[in-house]
Amino acid sequence: MVQKNIRNFCIIAHIDHGKSTLADRILEATGAVNKREMTEQVLDSMDLERERGITIKLKAVRLTYRAQDGEEYLINLIDTPGHVDFSYEVSRSLAACEGALLVIDASQGVEAQTLANLYLALDHDLEIIPVINKIDLPNADPERVLRELEDIGLSSDEAVLVSARTGQGIDQVLETIVERIPPPQGDPGAPTRAMIFDSHYDQYRGAVAYARVVEGTIRVGDVIQMMSTGRRFEVANLGVLQPHFVPVDSLGPGEVGCVLASMKDVRDTRVGDTITTASRPATVPLSGYRPAKPMVYCGLYPVVNEEYTLLRDALDKLQLNDAALTYEAESSAALGFGYRCGFLGLLHLEIVQERLEREFDLNLITTAPSVVYRVVLTDGSVKEIDNPTAMPAVTQIEHIEEPFVRATILVPDEFIGPVMEVCQDRRGVFVNMEYITPERARLEYELPLAEILMDFFDRLKSRTKGYASLDYEFIGYMPSDVVKLDILLNGNPVDALSIIVHKDKAVTRGRALAEKLKEVIPRQQFEVPIQAAIGNKIIARETVRALRKDVLAKCYGGDVSRKRKLLEKQKEGKKRMKSLGNVEVPQEAFMAILQVD
Amino acid sequence: MGVYVHIPFCEQKCSYCDFYSVVVGAGEFSSLTDNYLVSLRQEALYYRALWGDSPLTTIFFGGGTPSLLPPEKLADLIAFLRTELPFVTDPEITIEANPHSLTEAGAEALAAAGVNRVSLGAQSFQDDLLKAIGRLHRAEQISESVRSLRRAGIDNINLDLIFGLPGQSVRHWQETLEQAAALQPTHLSCYALILEPGTPLAAWHEAGLVQLPNDDDQADMYGLARSLLRSAGYEHYEISNFCLPGCACQHNLLYWRNRPHIALGTAAAGYVNRCRYINAPDLHGYLQSWQSGNPNYLECEQVGVEQEMDDTMMVGMRLIAGVAEEEFRHRFGVSYWDVYGEEITELVERGLVVEVEGSLRVTEQGLFLENMVSGAFLRGAGPLDKGGAK
Repeated sequence: MVQKNIRNFCIIAHIDHGKSTLADRILEATGAVNKREMTEQVLDSMDLERERGITIKLKAVRLTYRAQDGEEYLINLIDTPGHVDFSYEVSRSLAACEGALLVIDASQGVEAQTLANLYLALDHDLEIIPVINKIDLPNADPERVLRELEDIGLSSDEAVLVSARTGQGIDQVLETIVERIPPPQGDPGAPTRAMIFDSHYDQYRGAVAYARVVEGTIRVGDVIQMMSTGRRFEVANLGVLQPHFVPVDSLGPGEVGCVLASMKDVRDTRVGDTITTASRPATVPLSGYRPAKPMVYCGLYPVVNEEYTLLRDALDKLQLNDAALTYEAESSAALGFGYRCGFLGLLHLEIVQERLEREFDLNLITTAPSVVYRVVLTDGSVKEIDNPTAMPAVTQIEHIEEPFVRATILVPDEFIGPVMEVCQDRRGVFVNMEYITPERARLEYELPLAEILMDFFDRLKSRTKGYASLDYEFIGYMPSDVVKLDILLNGNPVDALSIIVHKDKAVTRGRALAEKLKEVIPRQQFEVPIQAAIGNKIIARETVRALRKDVLAKCYGGDVSRKRKLLEKQKEGKKRMKSLGNVEVPQEAFMAILQVD
Repeated sequence: MGVYVHIPFCEQKCSYCDFYSVVVGAGEFSSLTDNYLVSLRQEALYYRALWGDSPLTTIFFGGGTPSLLPPEKLADLIAFLRTELPFVTDPEITIEANPHSLTEAGAEALAAAGVNRVSLGAQSFQDDLLKAIGRLHRAEQISESVRSLRRAGIDNINLDLIFGLPGQSVRHWQETLEQAAALQPTHLSCYALILEPGTPLAAWHEAGLVQLPNDDDQADMYGLARSLLRSAGYEHYEISNFCLPGCACQHNLLYWRNRPHIALGTAAAGYVNRCRYINAPDLHGYLQSWQSGNPNYLECEQVGVEQEMDDTMMVGMRLIAGVAEEEFRHRFGVSYWDVYGEEITELVERGLVVEVEGSLRVTEQGLFLENMVSGAFLRGAGPLDKGGAK
C-alpha cells in the first residue's frame, strides 16, 4: 500500500458518548466484520468490558476502504477508553495517529473529558474531526452542540453528524477521514524506528508488541533491537488485526501491527520503547511516553499464602497489558506476603483486581487504597508514604503534605450550588468558574486527591441528576492536617486496616469503619472488640458479640450425609477468611473502608 | 443394628416440616397404603439377602404420620419384619404418633401390634403456637394421649418439643418444658426450629411475615431446657435428647454410634454393607421400582474407612458421653489421637472438648457450638485441617 493512502486515526470522547458503537459501524461499513460476526462493542474483547459496557484497553484494527475518489485506503483505527483512569491508554493511542475523531453525544454536549481529550489530541498536533453522535435520540440537540464546538474553538462546519446506532452518516465519516487526515510522513528507506504503544502476553507466542512504524521497514526474518535495552530478537511473525490476526510480510512507515519475535520476558516489550533493526540501527530513539504515574496504592495479598508466587507471575503478565500498573513486594503482619500496587484511579484498581481473579484464578485481599503522602520529618528530610503502616512516629513528623488535583467540572447552571456543596464538603478550594455556553458552567476546584477517590464522582452525579462531568489532573502537594487511624481487633492493631485521614474527619470515619467492620465480621467463639484509634487514643469501639449457638438440632440416619455437606460448606466459607490471631476476618473487611463515608 | 421404616402419609403438612410426606384423600388412602405395604415387604426381603445375620435390635416407624396406618396392617408388617429379618426376641419398637388422633383404642391396638415405645409430636403446650405452625392438636390432647398409652401398657414415651418457634418467648418455652416434665415421659427431644428451604415457614420468614426468636434467645432456650430437665431428673445424653436413666432411644443411639441400619420406604436413609443410601423422595417412583424389584436411590455412596472414622467422630460427638477412645481403637485399630491429634488439641485449647475417663466429649460451650466440633473431624481443606497424621 502506498504511504499516501494510509490514514491513522483514533476515536476519543467523554465516557459513554458512543466511541465503541461508532467503531462497530465503521468496521461494518468497511466490511472488516460481517453482519453475522457483529456483536455490540466488537472490539471490546474482555468479558469485563462487555459486562460493564466500557472500554478499558485501547484496540488497534486495520481496515481497507474504497473512497469516492475511486482509490483504496488503508485505515488504522484505534479505539480508546473514556474513563479518566485510563487516559494513559488514550495518550499512547494519540501518539500512533495523525488524526482523531472527537465524538460528542448530541444530547449531552461537550463534557469534561471531551475537553481533556481534545487538549491531549491538540498537544499531539492531530487533525481533529468533530463527530456529533446519537442524533437519532429524541432529546438530541445538534444545534446546541454545534454552538458549543465554536465555543471551545473548533469549527462547526467541519463537524459530521451521525447516529452510530442506526448507521446514519457513517459514510461521510469515512470520507472525511480520507480527505482531512494527512497521510503519515516517514522515509521508508531510513533506519527503522517503530514505537511500541501496547503489548500483551500470549501463553503460546510469548510477549506480543503492538507497534507503529514511523520510519523504515520491519520484515519477517529481520533481527530487531530494542533501543532501551539493546536486546535483539528475530522477527518470527508480523501481522495486522482486521480485527482478526492476519499475517503480513512487512510493516512500512505509517503502518500499525503486531510484532512476534519469541520474546519470552515480558520486560522485552516495554511500552514506549523504540524498535529498530540490528543491521542498520537508528541512532536516536523516538520520544517515548511519559511513564504513567500511579495516583493510588493498595496492597494485594493472596488469601492463601501459597499463592504468593502465582500472584507475582500474574502481575508480571498483566503489567505487560497494562503499562500503568506498578507493583513491588511488601509484607504485612496481618496478611503475610503480598504486593503494594499502584493504580491510576479506583476504577483501574477494581479492574486490575477483577482481572487478576478472573484471568489468573486468584483469590485476593485488597487493602484500603491510599494516595502518596509526603512526610516532612523534623530533621528536614522528606519521606514518601503510600502505605499507612509506613507512617513515621508523630514525634518525628514536622508536617505532612498530601496530593491535590485540579478538578474541572462541567455542569448545567442550575446545579452549580450542589456541585459547590459537594466540593466544599470534600475540602475543596474554589479556583474559578466560567460559562462555556450560556447554560453550562465550568467550575474549577483544587481538591485533595484522597477525597476524589472516595466516591466523589458518585456523589457529584447524584447531586446533579447525572449531569455533572468530571476531569482532574494532579497539581502538586500541599500541607495538610492528616493523621493515621488504626484499627484494633481483639486489642491487636491490624496493619492492613490502617488508613490516613484528615483530622477533622477522623472521628466520623473511625466510627463508621468500626460499625462497618462489626457488620462484616461474623460472630465467633469469643467476643471480638473492634476499636479505632489515633495514636493511643481510642476514638470508637464496637463489639462483635460471641457466637452463642452453632449447632444442628437433628442428626439422624439420613442427616449424616446432609450434615457432612453442611459442615463442608461452612469450612469452604472459612477458606475465604483470613485468620488474624484467633479472629476470622472475611475479605470484605479489608474493603470496608471504601464503603464508609 | 436396626430398621427404620418411613411412612410418608399426613393428614396435613406442618409449616416447618420438610420430611417427605404426601397428603392423601380418604378415597385412595386404603389402596395406596396397601400398595405401599407390599413394596415395603419387597424392600425388606431385598435387604435380607444383603444384610446377613447380624442381630437387629430396633424398629422405628417415622414419617410422615405412621400412626395413620390401620393398626392391624401395622401389626402384620411388624410380624413380617420380625419373621423375615434376624431380630432379637425383644426389640425396641417405636412409632411416631400425633396427639390429636391417638385414641384409647388406638393405643391398645399399637400395644397389641407389638409397639413398645411411642414418640408423640407434642411440640408445644401453647395452643396458639401449635395452631400457628399447622399442628392439628391442642395442648390438653398431649396429656390425654400419654394417659391412653400408659393405660394400654406403653410406658416408654417420648415427647418431641420445638423451641425457637415464631413468636415464642423464653417464658413460653419454660411453660412447655414444665408441663412436659410434669407428665414424666421417659424421654424428651428438644429441637431448635430449623428453617428448611422450601417449607411454607421459610417462605413466610423470607417475606417478613413471621418473626423468629433471635440467636441469643434461642441459646437461652436451649440452656433452659438443659437446666430445667436435668433438675427434673432427666439425663441429657445427646445434643437434643433427654431421658430418664436407662431410657435412651436405642434406635437413635445406632445413628449416633454410626452403626449400620436398614431403611425401608420412600425417602428413607440406610447404611448397609458400608453403603449409605437415600431412597428417592417419590412415593409413586418407589412403588414402581419395587414392582420390578429394584431400589430407586436418590443417592448411594460407598463409605471408605477414612470417611467412616470422620462420620464416627462427627455424629459421636453429639453424644454427651462422647466417643470412647477404647471403642474407636477397637473399631479402627488406631486411636483418635493418631488420626485427629492436631484438631483435638486445638479444640481442647479452645475449650470446646475435653477427654474425660477415656472419652472425648464436648464441654458445656462445645455443646452450644457443636458444629465447630463436628466440622473439625471432616477431612478436606479448611482452617482446622492442617495436615499432619492422617
